[in-house]
Amino acid sequence: MPLLLKLVISFMLIGLGAYGGGMVTIPLIQHELVDSRHWLEFSEMARILVVSQMTPGPIAVNAATFTGFRLSGIPGAILATVAVIVPSIVILALLVPCIERFKNKWNLRDFMQGIKIGVLGLILFAVWSYGKAAIKGWLDLAIAAAAFLVLAVFEGKLHPVIVILACGVIGAIVF
Amino acid sequence: MSHSIRQNEENDSMPVSLISIFWTFFRIGLFTLGGGMAMSLVMRHELAIKRRWVKDADFMSLMSLATVVPGAIAVNIAYLLGRRMRSHIGAVMAVLGTILPSFFVILIVAGVFLPFISNPKVTAFFRGCAIAIVSQLAFTGFIFGRTLLRNWKQCAVCAAGMIPACVFGIHPIFGIITAGVLGYWLLPKKKPEGAGGNAPTA
Repeated sequence: MPLLLKLVISFMLIGLGAYGGGMVTIPLIQHELVDSRHWLEFSEMARILVVSQMTPGPIAVNAATFTGFRLSGIPGAILATVAVIVPSIVILALLVPCIERFKNKWNLRDFMQGIKIGVLGLILFAVWSYGKAAIKGWLDLAIAAAAFLVLAVFEGKLHPVIVILACGVIGAIVF
Repeated sequence: MSHSIRQNEENDSMPVSLISIFWTFFRIGLFTLGGGMAMSLVMRHELAIKRRWVKDADFMSLMSLATVVPGAIAVNIAYLLGRRMRSHIGAVMAVLGTILPSFFVILIVAGVFLPFISNPKVTAFFRGCAIAIVSQLAFTGFIFGRTLLRNWKQCAVCAAGMIPACVFGIHPIFGIITAGVLGYWLLPKKKPEGAGGNAPTA
């Protein structure tokens, strides 16, 4: 299979699984790009995630552009970016005309509750799989614990990018 | 109080021009940091409250649709708002406006800054940042776990979401599907009048 086609399929899967926000795309991206296709090193993927968090736009879309560009230049960037948004656009396009019928008959919301919890399961899984690769020693673990405490103390009032930047500065000093 | 999500064909006011649709979404896409939820809040402010291109109640019902389908929320809500205002071509303009800024920013970062990444201080900086993402994941898990994992059934559904990726190493998307099916079967059904679309945004 040509590389560009594989790229499109991978990012369509990421787009389909990106359910309810950016964090859940991290395990999907790691699975597709690092663990299963070996297109990127873990450290490279982590860098893409960091850049995606610090630049405007959804993480999945940013990661698609970055990975596509990295693997096959501008055409790759365009294809991966389109691939990541196509599944949800197609689903929305199909749902919009019949949304009124959906509301009463087929109870989407009951299915949704399970999906929400499944997404949480994936995020917890990512804490393990991503964490295992990112945290290499006690110093790393201490930085992660401190960042978690800061996030927990401020509970959403502090922008995560500030915590990421602060950890980056600490990293530049201590590593 | 049922607001049709379908495109409003008998719109009596002047239709919004395609260029202003594109430009508005482009600016929101360029200046909003912090992911889909933050972006959709800005969209609500700009389109529903400030410019009144859509009714606020319509925005809210589009928003609940945008969160029940997969994909980036910002792109989903842009598609729905664009389609609502100017049908399919409006949707194309809104989606392009939303993703083009980040597309170009990422290209610049990947093309211009990548060569500098071999610098050891830059590598150390990124390593520190990557560690913070672990904390961010753990924090997101903690916040949603606190409200979503309250009995053994919910914990079982959560485990079902992890098992395909964790134990069998297959695509995590199967975990989401398994959890959806198991949740449908195991969790108590909601009342049909559940109007609030409070999907968690991680």
